[in-house]
Amino acid sequence: MMKVVTGVVGNDIHVVANRLIDISLQARGFEVFNLGVNTSLEEFIDAVVETDADILLISSLNGEAEGWCRDLQFLRSEYELKDVTFVIGGNLAVGEAKQSDIIPKYKSYGFDLVFHQIDLNTGLDEMERYMREKQ
Amino acid sequence: MSKLLIDVGSTYVKVCQKSGISQYFRDFKKDIYDDLITKCGDIFSQYKKEDIFICSSANGGLSTLIIGLTNSFSLKFAKNIAFNSGINIIDTILYSKIEESKSPGELVDVVIIVGGIDGIGNVFDEKLLRYLEKVQYSNIVYVGTAQDASFLKEHLPNLTVLSNIITHKLHVNGNELKEYLTNLYQADIVGKEDIKHLYEITANQIYSTPYIVNRSLPFIDANFDVVNPFIVVDIGGATTDIHYSRDLVRDNIVSESGYDRLVFKKLGVFKSRETLIYAAKNNEFVYELLAYLNVTENILEEESEKALRILMQLSIFLVLYKVSRLNPLYVTLQLELLKTIVLTGGITKVLNYEEVEVIISFFYKKVMNVHALPNIVMDYDYAIWTLGMENTQKEEK
Ligand code: B12
Repeated sequence: MMKVVTGVVGNDIHVVANRLIDISLQARGFEVFNLGVNTSLEEFIDAVVETDADILLISSLNGEAEGWCRDLQFLRSEYELKDVTFVIGGNLAVGEAKQSDIIPKYKSYGFDLVFHQIDLNTGLDEMERYMREKQ
Repeated sequence: MSKLLIDVGSTYVKVCQKSGISQYFRDFKKDIYDDLITKCGDIFSQYKKEDIFICSSANGGLSTLIIGLTNSFSLKFAKNIAFNSGINIIDTILYSKIEESKSPGELVDVVIIVGGIDGIGNVFDEKLLRYLEKVQYSNIVYVGTAQDASFLKEHLPNLTVLSNIITHKLHVNGNELKEYLTNLYQADIVGKEDIKHLYEITANQIYSTPYIVNRSLPFIDANFDVVNPFIVVDIGGATTDIHYSRDLVRDNIVSESGYDRLVFKKLGVFKSRETLIYAAKNNEFVYELLAYLNVTENILEEESEKALRILMQLSIFLVLYKVSRLNPLYVTLQLELLKTIVLTGGITKVLNYEEVEVIISFFYKKVMNVHALPNIVMDYDYAIWTLGMENTQKEEK
């Protein structure tokens, strides 16, 4: 069973998507470690280390991820996290933003999959496809 | 027949009977037992051994070194449990940095190793064993993933293995480790020449004082004029302890206990006076603060009654400063939510209410930029400690 650590990054309290993600991932057969809302990037990385998770799936709904996720590369280098897949989704900018700007930006932070304002099931389907190909 | 409660501190001994509390300065030329017998022998003879209860902070408590896999879970959980068991943390080591980490120069009473949820293996390897070769320790306990226990046990024969403190939901499971650490404290007392004779006075278990204070916290708001969330600041001769409601912290620890404890080992007014002054001189607010109190920094070098008061006031300020947002290295308490500050310990024998209020209002105005102060409660008669002692006995029964 694949393990996923999930939660909402930063001072973001939008909880509805987080609950849905928890339920959907479980229904799809993942083992879920849900850190809930208001989670710092360091806590996410640390939870991946403690659980030896395969996937880190971060949500950001109020757009502040731009501020937090830059440090991903740095935190990632603190541990030997080779095989973890990094996924982020939700509203990844404050205000209007083009997919063609957002996606490369988050990829440069170290995310493998980026879903800006993409419906959850579409995103999770793609994530599962990605994981199958990876194996 | 009523009970006799005794607290042996690094500077004072307090004795509590139904008729009230009396306290005595410790005579450091005598060992603790002789000192007590000389001063309170008559009182002891009026009670049965079963009715005498002792707690002590005189032996400084146990020291621990914690090695953990991450800051947010392993180390945070283990630190929390260790503090709440009344133990002093010498150092913490993040496992990914263990090869660059120095070993503590002193003998450590207990090493705690933690990391990983159950089900994952190979978290710990030879790196840990190599590091431990450099450490001098008396006890070692493992509370990490069950899968690594046999590997570690094989190489560390005197290792105690307890259940994982990190649950499968990434919550904290502290009971077994807490019990282990509390028992170790007992074993330590028995091993210490100075204190073990105290068992000639009492037939009951001797606990550490901070543990007793921590036990009283759930009952404080019902017994005193205290509104939640509150902190209890216990400023003693050697250390300063702060106990706080968990409502004041924003972190990921989910535990049944509503109250945590932090220790500032080097902020005492007698035994660690030097380090207190050092911390004060390095604080950005100190000169403004001294001016506000109408004294100059020369007072810090004096040996007067007045100097002692100023030191006590400084220690209140420094403790609050250390848990405030300005010092992110320590636990950060949301002091703007604080409703009550309770002061207990030796400080209540030195400072009066106004002297405490002055310093707290300086802190809130200057550091927090707010004018509304939390309510200040002075525990002049060690009522908190009495409450903790009484409740601990009840649970024993
Ligand atoms: C309800 C709500 C609130 C409630 C939240 C209650 C709660 N505890 O959950 C309250 C009133 C508290 C709130 C506060 C704020 N909110 Co609000 N809020 C909303 C609102 C109306 C609905 C959110 C919701 O629950 N939707 C239902 C869920 C199921 O949908 P969702 O969150 O969009 O998630 C879906 C997708 O994003 C996606 N998804 C999410 N994560 C991931 C991850 C992956 C990998 C994938 C594939 C997909 C995915 O899947 C989900 C299901 O399809 C939205 C507007 C809207 N209509 O979306 C604004 C909105 C999210 N809020 C917004 C803002 C700005 C705020 C505030 C900053 C407002 C303020 N100035 O105070 C605060 C921030 C508070 C904080 N600290 O976080 C903005 C964010 C704008 C931006 N990013 O540019 C929005 C978009 C409104 C807007 N159009 O301006 N908010």
